[in-house]
Amino acid sequence: MTDAELSAGSRTVYARCMRIVRAASALVPERRRDEWTREWDGELWYRASLLGRSGVTHRHAARRLVLRSVGAVPHAIWALTDEMRVDPMLQDLKYALRGIVRRPAFAALVITTLALGIGANTAMFSIVHSVLLRPLPYDRPEELVYMYGAFRQGNQASVSPPDYLDYRDRNSVFSSLAGRTIYGTAVITGSDDPERVRSSIATANFFATLGVKPYRGRVFLPEEEHGDHAVAIISYGLWQRRYAGDARVIGTTIPIDGRPHTVIGIMPPMLDRTMDVQVWSPIPFNTDGTSVRRFHFLRLIGRLKPGVTIAQAQRHMDDIARDLAAQYPENESWHLNLQPYRDVVIGGVGPVLMVLLGAVGVVLLIACGNVASLLLARASARSGEMAVRTALGAGRGRLVRQLFTESLLLGVASGVAGLIIGHYLLVGVRAVGDGMLPRMAEVEIDATVLAFTFGISLLTSLVFGAAPALHTARADLTGMMKSVGKASATRVGVSTRGLLVVAQVALSFVLLIGAGLLARSLWQLQRVETGFDPSRVLAAEVALPSVRYNDRAAIQGFWNQFLDRVRAIPGVESAAATTLFPLRGGGDTYFYIEGQSPASDALKMNAVVSTVTDDYFSTMRTPLVSGRVFNPSDRGTGAGVTVISQALAKRLFPDGSAIGKRLVVDFGKPFTAEIIGVVADVRIYGQANDAPDLMYFTYRQPNAGFGIGVMNLAARVRRDPDAIAPQVRAALHAVDADVPLSAVQSVESILYDSVSGERLRTQLFVGFAGVALLLAVVGLYGMLAYSVTQRSREMGIRIALGARPPVVFRMVIREGMALVVVGIVLGLGGALAATRLLTAQLFAVKPTDPAVFVFVATALTLAGLAACVIPARRATKADPMAALRLE
Amino acid sequence: MKPLSPSSLAVLSAVSRSVRHGFDIMDATGLPSGTVYPVLGRLERDGYVRSKWESQTITQPEKRPPRRYYEITASGARALAESAEHYRTLGTRLGLPPRRSTAK
Repeated sequence: MTDAELSAGSRTVYARCMRIVRAASALVPERRRDEWTREWDGELWYRASLLGRSGVTHRHAARRLVLRSVGAVPHAIWALTDEMRVDPMLQDLKYALRGIVRRPAFAALVITTLALGIGANTAMFSIVHSVLLRPLPYDRPEELVYMYGAFRQGNQASVSPPDYLDYRDRNSVFSSLAGRTIYGTAVITGSDDPERVRSSIATANFFATLGVKPYRGRVFLPEEEHGDHAVAIISYGLWQRRYAGDARVIGTTIPIDGRPHTVIGIMPPMLDRTMDVQVWSPIPFNTDGTSVRRFHFLRLIGRLKPGVTIAQAQRHMDDIARDLAAQYPENESWHLNLQPYRDVVIGGVGPVLMVLLGAVGVVLLIACGNVASLLLARASARSGEMAVRTALGAGRGRLVRQLFTESLLLGVASGVAGLIIGHYLLVGVRAVGDGMLPRMAEVEIDATVLAFTFGISLLTSLVFGAAPALHTARADLTGMMKSVGKASATRVGVSTRGLLVVAQVALSFVLLIGAGLLARSLWQLQRVETGFDPSRVLAAEVALPSVRYNDRAAIQGFWNQFLDRVRAIPGVESAAATTLFPLRGGGDTYFYIEGQSPASDALKMNAVVSTVTDDYFSTMRTPLVSGRVFNPSDRGTGAGVTVISQALAKRLFPDGSAIGKRLVVDFGKPFTAEIIGVVADVRIYGQANDAPDLMYFTYRQPNAGFGIGVMNLAARVRRDPDAIAPQVRAALHAVDADVPLSAVQSVESILYDSVSGERLRTQLFVGFAGVALLLAVVGLYGMLAYSVTQRSREMGIRIALGARPPVVFRMVIREGMALVVVGIVLGLGGALAATRLLTAQLFAVKPTDPAVFVFVATALTLAGLAACVIPARRATKADPMAALRLE
Repeated sequence: MKPLSPSSLAVLSAVSRSVRHGFDIMDATGLPSGTVYPVLGRLERDGYVRSKWESQTITQPEKRPPRRYYEITASGARALAESAEHYRTLGTRLGLPPRRSTAK
């Protein structure tokens, strides 16, 4: 390019301009770039040459030229987008984006409202998806069947090892049938810190049945089911935590319960999430403990052969059970209860989660209502703009599409924000909800959840975008045109917004009723009489290694020493021990009243057994009803003694006192015990469950109870029980440094935790209902405020014509409250229909509890009234002069 | 037919009055370069203007690069007339007084 004819000054300007143009040309598609650059070059050279024509370079003109060359940038962008042939959809999008940027507050309000709704839905759906919908993480999980032992008095018992072997060998419906113990614990020593972990004894084919392969090493061999094989498989978590993920741990021996075991394998991390077991060992068949048909302690898992249904399998196993019962008298009425493994893992949370998902869905619907209302208000305000755009040639279809594009853009933005909110909600729920819900560790946002969030974002855009779009599509644009710029605007949209408010009130009424019922149920649950005083009691579990503590005297000696040391801790009022701690489960056995021996085991009565030290009842403050509690004179050498619970005493001896009567209890061998006392019933299975029949025995009687190797400490203190935990640990260390102290927790917090599931669900529901109420009230307020503003002229004229402010005030209040009342009436119907879904979740509250209904209706009315007051006051302030001037 | 946008109308009207080069159109319409060139591009794409390059017989003696210039087409002239009419009607409908030749 020649610039020979340019003056020096012009040349500088020209060069500067061309630098900008060349930089911008990078954006221009190659096909057009040469021509594009030449056009700018031609103009710039020409203009630059004019600059210097008079010999002087005008600084102002030079700057203007450089500025103009900056226009090459938008020109280049245009060339680029033109190359991509901007279609109308993209144009809509561009326009919508501009609209959002121009009204950031409005967009922020809409996006925040929706994002909260979408976020809550995303979190809730992630939970439902992971817990309920996603298959179990095993190979072909639909084939897996869980089996309880079932007999006349229950169908969730266990199965004895000899029965298991018979079922395994005789059945033809399972390709593989395995068993394992549940509730086991083991103590690992071998380093400074002894550790209590969950353990399980499993059949050799257990992992193969599930389809789980070891992460490292191997699983058990069939020959390890027979004879004494001290081998163990450990969990991935334990391996990482205690052995720092060192693969060399395989083949080494670790002391488990005081005995060296060879580590042969490590399970994959997946199993940590699905089974809370850290140490596995093989079941030794044909030992004293595993050859008795009356000792039921295995749960079975089977893999169905292809094509076999669970009902067929149940019938087949029932046939085997009948054969076994004919063969062995102790098997009378015993059979198997087959359940899909998935149902057993999920438990009863399905309905709870679905109700919560429904609730959160309703919240989103209400949020959509609010956004629709906002958009309607804006559509009315924009009717002028729409009219002008129509006049400029935009078709109605185009306008509707434009509005939908805006909704869609808002929806997608809310979806993205909602995903972020959902992620953090999940983090929170995972933190507080661990252990309250099954499969909690598996909860995550995956592709399905992403698709769900995307889907509901689109759906919500359509829902809230429909109203304003239809409104615009139907509107009388010529009429709007005429009214552009005039003070009185149309009231179009107000009636639609009124309907939205009614729907919102109705929906939030239903949610509030649900929340009220759950809250009342939780309240009832928490004030249930437990049969003991939980305040200021520290609980802890102590498991003595059976190798060193192999006789009763050694264990009694340990406890006497340990309890004395605990009592010596400053602030401790009393201390005791029990094998059965309230809310931590326990074992039961058969018994009968002496002289009334029944014909068979199956007809015997059954009660939960607890072995306690002397001070147990006074430490727990379980009231004595009659007779006396244990004292040091109740020695093992004398006649057996027992203390029983009040309900059991009433059931056994309805007409007279139980004191002095004798029971024969089955502890392997029959044990005869005289009833010396009756104590209050204790809800050991949690507040929601009835108190079971209970028999207490003293730890001094060697032949009573199930062994006292694992006992719970209970220490009542004067102040904070958690504060003495370190001293209790030190006391234990002083007695025996190799015994771990586990499950250290105040009894109050055990109680608190025992209703944590109920509490979490109630809190979530109350939270959702609260948000719904807030949204409904804001919706009502927004609608009324808008309506009052639109009608300020009408109000002014009314006042000018003599209406006194209280009349106007009442008029607006009446208008708002009419919507609230209609909403409540509709909601009442909805609530009566919907709360039936909650029946199973309620404790001592009917789903039609009048108190809750009255309270919620009153609260909602008051909230509605509060929302009406400000717009009503504003209406009374309408200026009659201003109104008249406009006429 | 869709009416032209106001800036397109201004540019097309300038071209019709023989203001033919990009920078001259900017001067005539008061629009910035970042608007004028995309508008020209669109008008050319839609067939309302066509562009040519100055011949070498003009540029050679002046030793300068050729400039591009634009001419209105028949359909451009039609679009210009129709759009102008549309905006006039719109102004009437909106109740705007017809503009006098001199303001104030």
